[in-house]
Amino acid sequence: MRAVSDEQLIEWVANGDASCLGTLFERYHKGVYQFCLQMTRNPEQAEDVVQEVFMKVLRKAGTFRHQGTFKAWLFNIARNTTLDYFRNNKRHKVLAPLDEHAESRLVDHQSAEAVTAGAQKIELLERALAMLPLNFQEVILLGRFEFRNFEELAQALGCKTGTARVRMHRAMQQLNVAYAELNGDPFDD
Amino acid sequence: MTDHKDTSLPFEISDASEQKLWQALGDLPRAEPSADLCRRFYEQLEKADRPSLGARIRGWLGLSNNTGWVTATACLLMGFAVAQLSVESDTMQPDRLIALEENIALLNRELVLDRLKNDAPGTRLLGIHNASYLVQDDQEIVQALLVRATEDRSPSVRSAAIDALGPQLSSAAVGDELMNLLESVESPIVQLALVDLVLRNGNQQQLDQLLRLGNEERLHPDLIRHVNKSLGRESI
Repeated sequence: MRAVSDEQLIEWVANGDASCLGTLFERYHKGVYQFCLQMTRNPEQAEDVVQEVFMKVLRKAGTFRHQGTFKAWLFNIARNTTLDYFRNNKRHKVLAPLDEHAESRLVDHQSAEAVTAGAQKIELLERALAMLPLNFQEVILLGRFEFRNFEELAQALGCKTGTARVRMHRAMQQLNVAYAELNGDPFDD
Repeated sequence: MTDHKDTSLPFEISDASEQKLWQALGDLPRAEPSADLCRRFYEQLEKADRPSLGARIRGWLGLSNNTGWVTATACLLMGFAVAQLSVESDTMQPDRLIALEENIALLNRELVLDRLKNDAPGTRLLGIHNASYLVQDDQEIVQALLVRATEDRSPSVRSAAIDALGPQLSSAAVGDELMNLLESVESPIVQLALVDLVLRNGNQQQLDQLLRLGNEERLHPDLIRHVNKSLGRESI
């Protein structure tokens, strides 16, 4: 049951009832966390970014103009906050290396015969995704997990619909190439 | 969050291996954030939501809007009148005193109903606290609390209203409404208030309904454990 729309809730937040942000947080914090986690590849830093995202929503609630959905606006803030995070942590800009935990999982994968081939493919896919430029990673993650049309996706990315479409096309091509480089073959079921 | 396992392809991809990649992306691991994230968020939100001292005093006195001021002025005038009459109590007619007391009770009730509809969540919470003393004898107060419990936009106000309605859970009108709410509510805070209420005051049928919701995993996992522990069960 969703009795109150996101847009109504953010209007109440803008009118001074900050407690309504709690409802929006309950609805979206997991999705925002997943996006930030895939981008930062660090759970603690992803949580810091999510925290900052929702505090920005609180501060900027009055600037929401109802020209798109709240969700697209929220993910636009999440995207910008993540990019700010990368600007402030320049050493993380090159994302190809996985974190220690992920690397150890990969080693286990390769050495343990019990691990399924499907799981190895997913592991490689994660690595291939991490090798892409940030703007390609974000278009794939938002397009795959959060938005079902290019209009909303473009709002979240802060670009035109055509640009989002082209970026998605190029991102998928590059992901395919990166995966093939890691695996030796293109992706196949 | 949308279902990432969905095999539908919202974006046009002609290349076969890219299509397979697109579908495989849905299997990427999806980790849950820690409970610490929620705790930190609500701490910051509480700080941000805290009104200034003046606003808090006005809110506490129920004077954050014009209706509050009018009601308070009326109460003040009635207070003067009662004080004046008490001085003259030797000559006072008992029925006039009773009438004055009734008027004061009526004004107090109007003040509580007004607070329950106030825009500020803090004032609504105060109204709920006041209403909890009147809930036994007053159906209009019960209905106003039910509206707060089922429709209020603030989870903390909703859970306070649910607590205040506790003694009424055995009545059909309130019981049915709150059990329907338990079936549909998303907020874990509101779920917790409802679960506690049923565990404290629920009849056998309501407890059975709670167990069924646990069995169907429609409650927050922590709440299922809480229900198990409270009812002394290993699992639901």
